[in-house]
Amino acid sequence: MLTTKKSILDLIKEQVVLLDGAMGSELIAAGLPAGAPSESWNVTAPEKVKQIHKNYFDAGSNAVFTNTFGGTRVKLETQHHGDKVEEYNAKAVEIVRSVCPDDCFVGGDIGPTGKFLPPVGKATIDDFSENFLEQAKILAENGVDFFFIETMMDIKEAEAAVLAAHKVANIPIFASITYQKTKRGYFTVMGNSIDQCATILEKAGADVIGANCTIGSDDMIELIIQLRDATKLPISAKPNAGMPELRKGETVYPTIPDDFAQDIAQIVNAKANVVGGCCGTDPRYIRKIAELLKGK
Amino acid sequence: MAIFDECKEAIIQGDIDRARELANQALADKLDLNMVIDAFSEAIRHVGDLFDEGEYFLPELMRSAEAMKAAMAVLTPHLTTGEIETRSLGKVVIGTIEGDIHDIGKTLVASMLAAEGFEVYDLGADVPVATFIEKALEVDAQLICISALLTTTMVGQKKLIEQLVKQNIRDRFKVLLGGAPVSKNWVAEIGADGTAENAISAVKLAKELMVH
Repeated sequence: MLTTKKSILDLIKEQVVLLDGAMGSELIAAGLPAGAPSESWNVTAPEKVKQIHKNYFDAGSNAVFTNTFGGTRVKLETQHHGDKVEEYNAKAVEIVRSVCPDDCFVGGDIGPTGKFLPPVGKATIDDFSENFLEQAKILAENGVDFFFIETMMDIKEAEAAVLAAHKVANIPIFASITYQKTKRGYFTVMGNSIDQCATILEKAGADVIGANCTIGSDDMIELIIQLRDATKLPISAKPNAGMPELRKGETVYPTIPDDFAQDIAQIVNAKANVVGGCCGTDPRYIRKIAELLKGK
Repeated sequence: MAIFDECKEAIIQGDIDRARELANQALADKLDLNMVIDAFSEAIRHVGDLFDEGEYFLPELMRSAEAMKAAMAVLTPHLTTGEIETRSLGKVVIGTIEGDIHDIGKTLVASMLAAEGFEVYDLGADVPVATFIEKALEVDAQLICISALLTTTMVGQKKLIEQLVKQNIRDRFKVLLGGAPVSKNWVAEIGADGTAENAISAVKLAKELMVH
C-alpha cells in the first residue's frame, strides 16, 4: 500500500506544498522547561507533541515534521540525553504518523549538531556523518516519508547530512540553509553564499533546497528570488515571524499571521514550491497561508 | 617598518604560524614590543571592520583571533608587569546561562575580547548564575558577559542581576547581555549595562564601559 502512495515530490509538481510552523516555540508555549531537550517530550509528554502536530494538519499543512530537530546524538549529549537517541527519534515518527491524514506526509526533521568545524570549533566531517547516519536511519526505519534537513549554518555540515540521508533510504531529501542578511547580501555565518550552497546541495543529491530560520518573512522574499536564480530544483522557504522579544515576561514575535501570509504569497510568486513557518509561527500562520494558497 | 606591515598582514590573513614567527622575530630583533603589539591590535580591529562589512565571516574572525592569541602568547612574557597592566583592558567573565547550550556567539565574543586585550575567563555553556558570580569575585573581574539564545533562558540574565543586587555587589561589575532575542528594552528592564548586536560591537561596548 505504501508503495502506491505518491511521493511528496509528485505533490510539489501539482501544487504549492504547505509545511508546518514552529515546533520549538510551540513546545515552550506548552510548558517545555528551559534546559530540557524538545525531543524528551516525545516520551514524557507525547500527547502535547501530538496535539501540536494535529493542530498543524488541521490548519492545512500537507506535511508535518517529527519533533527531532535536536535528535542527533551529539546534540542530545550536550543536554545529557545521549542514551535516548533511538527512543526519542522512533517515538517522534510514531506520534506524527498517528495524526497524519492519508494524503499528507511525515517529514523526518534533522537539525544541526551545534558543533563546528575548525577554526570555529573542533568537530570533524566524520563526526557529522556518523551522527546524521544514526539519526536518519532511525527516522527512515520508523517510516518517515521524506527527510527535512534544516537550519544548517555551515554548508559542509548540510552536505554531510544530505549524503548520510542518501545512504540510509531512498526517500526525498529536503535541505534548508540558514542565511543572515549582511551588507553584502545573504550568507551563512560561515560565509557560504546562496550560489555556493545551491551548487553543493544539488551535487550531494538534495531533491528540494531552501532556506529557513533567523530571517523574517519580509527578508525571505529577496532571498528566494536569488535562490531561484541559483537552482532549477524545487525550493522550500520557512521564515521566522521576525525576531523574538521578551515583553513583560512573554515571548513575542513581531510579525502577525496576516503580514506573514502576505510575504509568503510573494515568496510563492518568486517561485518557491514549498512553504511553511519557522520560529514564532503557529497554526494561525499556517491557516492563513492555507487560505491564501487556496485562493490561487 | 616592513615587519609591522607583515604583522598586520598575518592577523588579517589569519595566519597563525606566521603571526607567531613574526612575534619571535620581533623579540630577536629587539624591537619595541609595544609598537609590535600596536600593529597586531590595529590589524585585529581592521578584521572586526571586515566582519561588520560582510567581507569576513565566523571562520576568518576566529582564525584572526587565534593568530592574535598566538602572537600575544609569545610577546606577553617579555613585557614588564607594569606594561601588562597598562595593556590589559580589564578582566571579563563570560558564559552562556544555565539551561542554554548555544555557545557559538559567546565563544566568538570571548575570542574577540581576548584578541583586543581583555583578560577573558570563558565558563562555557549551561553555566549557573552562582558560577558566574563566584568566578567574577575570584578573579576580581570588571565585566560579566552573559549569553542566552532562548527567550526561556533569558530570565537567567535577570536572575544574575538580582543575585548581584542581593549580595550587594551589583556596582562591582558591569553586566553585558548577549543573545539574538536580547533587546535594549530587556537590558533596561532588568537593569543590565548593555548589549550589542555582534561580537565587534560587543568589544567596542566593553571598551567604552571600562573607560567609565
